[in-house]
Amino acid sequence: MPSIVPTFAWLEGLAWTTALRESPYGYPLIETSHVACIVVFAGLVIMMDLRLVGLAFTHAPLAQIQRRLFPWQMASFVPSTATGILLFCVDPLRYYRNVFFLAKLVLLALAGLNALAFHLKTYRTAEGWDEDPLATTTARVTGAASLLLWSLTIVSSRLIPNNWFK
Amino acid sequence: MKRNIFLVLLAAGALCAVQPAHAHHAFAAEYDNTKPLTLNGIITRMEWANPHGWIYMDTKEPNGAVKHWMIETAAPSQLSRHGLKKADFTDGMTAVVKGYQGKNDPGLANGRTLVMKDGRSFYIGSVGGPNDGAEPQ
Repeated sequence: MPSIVPTFAWLEGLAWTTALRESPYGYPLIETSHVACIVVFAGLVIMMDLRLVGLAFTHAPLAQIQRRLFPWQMASFVPSTATGILLFCVDPLRYYRNVFFLAKLVLLALAGLNALAFHLKTYRTAEGWDEDPLATTTARVTGAASLLLWSLTIVSSRLIPNNWFK
Repeated sequence: MKRNIFLVLLAAGALCAVQPAHAHHAFAAEYDNTKPLTLNGIITRMEWANPHGWIYMDTKEPNGAVKHWMIETAAPSQLSRHGLKKADFTDGMTAVVKGYQGKNDPGLANGRTLVMKDGRSFYIGSVGGPNDGAEPQ
């Protein structure tokens, strides 16, 4: 199997990744933006999930909460992902074998699939229980899973800088 | 009531601003502040990089063997603020680094002070290190 290492070494050696890695302001700006966008995104996702599990906004129709939060969720998710990809490109060899980084990727994928399944299946049936303070069991489970998966994603992200397992 | 909550939040925010921002990983998670080190050797390479720089240094053990060190420094912005430039480092230069031993890795250290051959001394420590007087006030 061909190794990914030469590709990452090439990426790390590019003029623009090197410039960012050595920059006094560029890197901290991207790093701070990454965290700031995640904070906004996580807050919005948590509010949606709390509605689903039945702990917040229970008297507001689900569709209304969804319609109001979704554009802001996307507006924070896109830049947080873009800055995340940039941060990876700046230092690929540091991350690609990091246990917490790999765990983060898996958790992100699971959280994404959970959200996708909700939008494609559960939410389609929402008309029937939209006004109901208590969502359907499937919707509540999806909300709880989302809370858990996004929380774990953030925890594993926070642990990436600790090189406990090399 | 709303006004009171706002004032409390404002005060909390102001307190957070006074507290110096911690490095992205805690000093205590990786380094032992009870094990100070003074490393006298040859800098084989310096990585002027975010989020931390790295000084690679070779020192001589008492038995004559060469020991390789990987010494963490502050980020480029902080190194610049304390007067260092990327061009100050040349591969093969001799220097003295004062710092602390890594907890698990015997070749890992956290740099606090860098003393060049010409006697110039620079603070290279990350934010959140021990309050040992290395950082100029």
